[in-house]
Amino acid sequence: MAASTPQGTLRQRNVGASSKKNKDAASSDTELDKLIKSTGVKPPAAGSETEYKIVFVFITAMAFLTRFWGISHPNEVVFDEVHFGKFASYYLQKTYFFDVHPPFGKLLFAFMGWLVGYDGHFHFDNIGDSYIANKVPYVAFRSLPAILGALTVSVVYMIMWESGYSLPACIVAAGLVLLDNAHIGQTRLILLDATLVFAMACSLLFYIKFYKLRHEPFSRKWWKWLILTGFALSCDISTKYVGLFAFITIGSAVVIDLWDLLDIKRPGGALSLPEFSKHFAARAFGLIILPFIFYLFWFQVHFSILTRSGPGDDFMTPEFQETLSDNIMLANSITIDYYDTITLKHKETKTYLHSHPDKYPLRYDDGRVSSQGQQVTGYPFNDTNNYWQILPVVDDQKLGVHVKNHDLVRLRHLVTDTILLSHDVASPYYPTNQEFTTVSIADAFGDRAADTLFEVRIENGKANQEFKTISSHFKFIHNPSKVAMWTHTTPLPEWGHKQQEINGNKAIAPSSNVWLVEDIPSLPADHKRREKEEKKVKTLPFLQKWFELQRSMFWHNNQLTSSHPYASLPFQWPFLLRGVSFWTQNDTRQQIYFLGNPIGWWIASSVLAIYAGIILADQFSLRRGIDALDHRSRSRLYNSTGFFFLAWATHYFPFFVMGRQLFLHHYLPSHLASTLVTGALVEFIFTGDSSEQEVAHHGAKSGKKAAVAKRHMTARDRFAGQSMLGSWIAAIVILTLAFAGWYFFLPLTYGYPGLSVDQVLRRKWLGYDLHFAK
Amino acid sequence: MAGSDRATAASGIDVGDARQRNVAAVQQQPTIVEKTEVDDKKKAAKKGPSVLDVLDQWEWIYAPLIFTALAFFTRFYKIGISNIVTWDEAHFGKFGSHYLQREFYFDVHPPAGKLLVGLSGWLAGYNGTFEFKSGEKYPEELNYTFMRQFNAFWGAACVPLAYWTAKALNLKRPAVWLVTLMVLCENSYTTISRFILLDSMLLFGTVLTTLCWAKFHAQRTRAFEPEWFLWLFMTGLSIGFVTSIKLVGLFVTALVGLYTIEDLWAKFGNTKMPAVELAAHFTARVVGLIVLPFLVYLLSFAIHFAVLTNSGPGDAQMSSLFQANLRGTEVGRDSPLEVAFGSRVTIKNMGYGGGLLHSHVQTYPEGSGQQQVTCYHHKDANNDWFFYPNRREEDYNPEADPRFIADGQTIRLIHAQTGRNLHSHEISAPITKVDKEVSCYGNLTIGDEKDHWKVEVISDAASRDRSKIRTLTTAFRLKHETLGCYLRAGNVNLPQWGFKQIEVTCTKQNKPRDTYTHWNIEAHTNEKLPPGDPGSYKSPFFKDFIHLNVAMMTSNNALVPDPDKQDDLASQWWQWPILHVGLRMCSWDDSIVKYFLLGNPLVYWGTTAGLGVFALLVVWYTLRWQRGYKELSQWDVDQIHYAGFYPVIGWFLHYLPFVVMARVTYVHHYYPALYFAILTFGFLVDWFLRNQKKAIQYIIYGILDTTVIGLYIYFIPICWGMTGPNKQYSYMKWFDTWRMSDA
Repeated sequence: MAASTPQGTLRQRNVGASSKKNKDAASSDTELDKLIKSTGVKPPAAGSETEYKIVFVFITAMAFLTRFWGISHPNEVVFDEVHFGKFASYYLQKTYFFDVHPPFGKLLFAFMGWLVGYDGHFHFDNIGDSYIANKVPYVAFRSLPAILGALTVSVVYMIMWESGYSLPACIVAAGLVLLDNAHIGQTRLILLDATLVFAMACSLLFYIKFYKLRHEPFSRKWWKWLILTGFALSCDISTKYVGLFAFITIGSAVVIDLWDLLDIKRPGGALSLPEFSKHFAARAFGLIILPFIFYLFWFQVHFSILTRSGPGDDFMTPEFQETLSDNIMLANSITIDYYDTITLKHKETKTYLHSHPDKYPLRYDDGRVSSQGQQVTGYPFNDTNNYWQILPVVDDQKLGVHVKNHDLVRLRHLVTDTILLSHDVASPYYPTNQEFTTVSIADAFGDRAADTLFEVRIENGKANQEFKTISSHFKFIHNPSKVAMWTHTTPLPEWGHKQQEINGNKAIAPSSNVWLVEDIPSLPADHKRREKEEKKVKTLPFLQKWFELQRSMFWHNNQLTSSHPYASLPFQWPFLLRGVSFWTQNDTRQQIYFLGNPIGWWIASSVLAIYAGIILADQFSLRRGIDALDHRSRSRLYNSTGFFFLAWATHYFPFFVMGRQLFLHHYLPSHLASTLVTGALVEFIFTGDSSEQEVAHHGAKSGKKAAVAKRHMTARDRFAGQSMLGSWIAAIVILTLAFAGWYFFLPLTYGYPGLSVDQVLRRKWLGYDLHFAK
Repeated sequence: MAGSDRATAASGIDVGDARQRNVAAVQQQPTIVEKTEVDDKKKAAKKGPSVLDVLDQWEWIYAPLIFTALAFFTRFYKIGISNIVTWDEAHFGKFGSHYLQREFYFDVHPPAGKLLVGLSGWLAGYNGTFEFKSGEKYPEELNYTFMRQFNAFWGAACVPLAYWTAKALNLKRPAVWLVTLMVLCENSYTTISRFILLDSMLLFGTVLTTLCWAKFHAQRTRAFEPEWFLWLFMTGLSIGFVTSIKLVGLFVTALVGLYTIEDLWAKFGNTKMPAVELAAHFTARVVGLIVLPFLVYLLSFAIHFAVLTNSGPGDAQMSSLFQANLRGTEVGRDSPLEVAFGSRVTIKNMGYGGGLLHSHVQTYPEGSGQQQVTCYHHKDANNDWFFYPNRREEDYNPEADPRFIADGQTIRLIHAQTGRNLHSHEISAPITKVDKEVSCYGNLTIGDEKDHWKVEVISDAASRDRSKIRTLTTAFRLKHETLGCYLRAGNVNLPQWGFKQIEVTCTKQNKPRDTYTHWNIEAHTNEKLPPGDPGSYKSPFFKDFIHLNVAMMTSNNALVPDPDKQDDLASQWWQWPILHVGLRMCSWDDSIVKYFLLGNPLVYWGTTAGLGVFALLVVWYTLRWQRGYKELSQWDVDQIHYAGFYPVIGWFLHYLPFVVMARVTYVHHYYPALYFAILTFGFLVDWFLRNQKKAIQYIIYGILDTTVIGLYIYFIPICWGMTGPNKQYSYMKWFDTWRMSDA
């Protein structure tokens, strides 16, 4: 059969339909990767780019100016500074804390604080707390994101420059970031996003640099930019996990690049498989392994700084907590024996299990009746009525026997000499929950014996684990009915002295059922059981600690689903439908409302749509055999601009499937990418010869092939002899509009001056929920 | 042939851009057909007259017959031994009964499948009076065996369809048999087909659609010939059928849709094709694959409405006018025509899928903490409201003459059961945060201006007179006097604390055309007023159709997993492909016949592994292609593309939605996806073995076939029913999660 013989199957790959499908799938991508190919091999045109340099300096200066202007205002805690300022303080005080974000961004703030000699005494508890009164070097803290935010503008400019775009295109892209209220607002405050966006922009820039060196693989410079790309990516993901999206962007470009390297008919000659493997390994090392090592490194720094026990202890396992010094658990944990007198504390509400001679009233207000037994309540202060003696099931008076996990015990209230009991009587507040009371010793060992038995169930405990003070968190389960001892903050009426109700909760699982034994008052302070040999702080292998923390972070990250009044949905972002209120001050009518520059955002978003439209029109016309673009324009449109578009898409669409609460600032990396596309398209649409313009406007009517120009060159060469007037006019128009929008919304970004009702109302475009509108 | 190949190749080398490639592709299509034809002829020529050859020659007739016979045997055998209502028979049997009783009911699934259940009941001579309570014994007069057989028919019919599908996908005979065997000897398919459920029909529809698609694809070179049209329209009909059973059918529709898009895209690139022909291709597909299925879908609803003419449990889902046209309904019967103060009414939201304004003693857990106000689809006394005058006017006097309510009048609404006023205030609604919360507050004397609502009439189907509000026919909005917002129920379900009922809010947006802010009076009683007959207006079919569909979507969305409710029958997506769990279809008492929903381990594990192998295969060939290896002929590529790739896409389409979907899922949701995994598996085995030595083929196919059959027989008690103590079946309990035995 001809089909199965070799020569029947031997077809030219690029012709046969066999290759067609693959090629088709690949072609759009392959082109994408050729990315900066057209700009490649740029002769070091010394001196020829003076105007680029001048503009660069100017834009950088403007960026610093806009970011630092009035950075000391407001001198109060703003929005999430509550979190990130606090974390910096924790680092400086070396107390262990827990957060869902990786440590890098927070470490930078701590470093800044350390540089200016701040000791971390202030804990940024509430929005609106004064920095002046609390003597916090907040300007130093804020200047870090401001520096990074300003440099982001420069990096955007350089991305365009390196990619070989014309000056107007560079200016448009950088200008849209420079004049963007969201970028300014987010990078003048103690927040992580400046670091994140800067690292993301750097990773794009470095990768472009790296890609331009593809004709000198494995050279020193080639390695330098590869490793820098990896480092930027690592900083990105070590700041927030959304940095993963940058990996997807760069990763896609790398995969396409590798695909081309694998091509047997690649222009530079086929690579042998060992050579290819070397390419592959170098990229895997530089862009995966190295970033991962950096990522781990920040955790190592994190662990080695945070050596003291702190607010984050509770998120970790006891083994982990024992690696922290000053840990109360380590110092005061004593094994409990039977016949010890103990005090039991409710973990969530911090009250002690308490009883007193008063009885439950016969009838409650709602008409239900009680057992009229002795009250058992929760009481937040030290008192001898909090003392309970722990008794074994068989009252054998044997001393020195340790209480173990899952043991059945009785609790004797010392002062009234009664035994704790629960039974099937509704509690004062909860008809569904069991009442807790006490009965006399005689009853407790007589006909009520079963109802006085409780099981000690240590959280995450193992069988036969010893029951200890402080460190053993446990649930106290009533044995016959399997309800858990529970309390809540609603105080009992007068008859219960406004103390807390204790009742039996049928739902055992909730963590609000957890108690701990705080102390053993029956042991004198100098008793030998209290003596501890000076225990050393334990150590755990780094990877084990990291793995535990990592798991805990992911778990808590997924729990962040609660709604926030200013949370928004991804589809709202490109249209800038909603901002976030960061800070308000009633006396001066000042407010910071986090919002992008609407004009800039709308321009950038509509350009994205135009780009998609052009690509679609081009694909359709190509399909019909109409080739309206010259090779160079298409390559640039698909590869370079396509790369920016890919960056936008990969930083945007994943948010649609995310379940956690989202805010406008999650769009900032995407917005940055959209400004790059805007700059590129301004050049595409407003320069070039007539045929190009026609395509842009009429979507492929002309079949005329554009001029053949295969040379690689700088923007200056590319547009030699062409009128750049169109681009310049477009750039000026766009930037003027953006400037107007930026200026109009400045009071909301910088937080001053305060606005009158009328002024606020005029800024309520699209119904932005601003304050002081009345 | 080779020459022409080379010619195209030569012409393409230097150009190699998109355009040229397409031309080549088109030219090659005829050659493929030629090749396969030659192939067949050669095969035929080799045939001698021996017995084996005769067998070989007539395989296309007797093989499907044998498989079908076996399918009917395995699906029908002992089908009636369990005489109790098993598992979801409780639902679908009941829906069938509603058709026989012609009572209007509501369900999330489209009607076709349940209509067929009703039909089977009718054929069995069942009168529709049995309630199908779960676990209850079937009454003597109900021929449930027939009803089950009717369902089993669809399940059995999948087997020959699978045979023809595999054949249409160009698999060789042993692979075709293997695929058919895997469908035949699939325990989960067997079990699910033996009860009064929709799944056997759904499976049948999915398998049939795939067959029609494959047949249509095989006709691609004979466009616009009768057979081409036949399979195009068959595909369309089949899509219509399957989507009218369960909306899961949309996934196989998507598969056909993707194929069509790819196909048209290829034709679009063929610049040699005249525009008229291209347009004809396009139109034929629009008609065959969109219009036709939609008509089938419409038809199923038309029959649904035509059969269900009596009032029943699903009334409240529909518009008031629709209800008024049902026999035996209360709506519109003897109600006074015009509404006056003191009238006791139920108020219906006029948006698609809208319910009745409802309140109950439970309070909001957040926001104001006052009594909840919701929209509810069941009729109970908590839907009743009294019209009262506002607090500025003279109080309602039961003795005085009735005062009618006019457009623009400000009123209060008092909840009949709790005596509280419909109320709204400056507090965000629980879900739709931009709107205001609506609650019930105060009583006759306690209350404030925030209980005041202004009636704004939108339209009245019966009269131009705006001075009165009429039962059923007047559409009005309720505007909150102090906040200026409108009462709205936008089909957003509340969480469990609101019993998944619909959230009622007060919206600031004044959109007169937003039907979710439109309300009408449904039930109306007022002793002072003379009874009338307001329900003499018909509601148009299309309106009912859309209304019912929206209602189906909204209540489907409400089927999200409920952390407060434990459901040990439910399972998760990752458990299915690895056959991690089964499902007990009835109680596990020793005295009853027990059925356990579990698949054939080889089929499940083999096909899941096959998906991975397929991915490797594709990666392998792509990399090799990029390295310049030319080992695949055009026929090979097409084979991977259509017999391998499309089934994998089908698997993804039927599987991924359940991964992202946040609703309760069960093992049987995987069954349509499994079918595509089986096809992929068949393709792979065929791919690797088709050019091997006969001996190797015999051995491997022999092992696969016997294992499939052996395991099927080994596990057959779970399908045919396990009688006696479950301990004696513990031999099948390979894992603790396979709970066919308590031992």
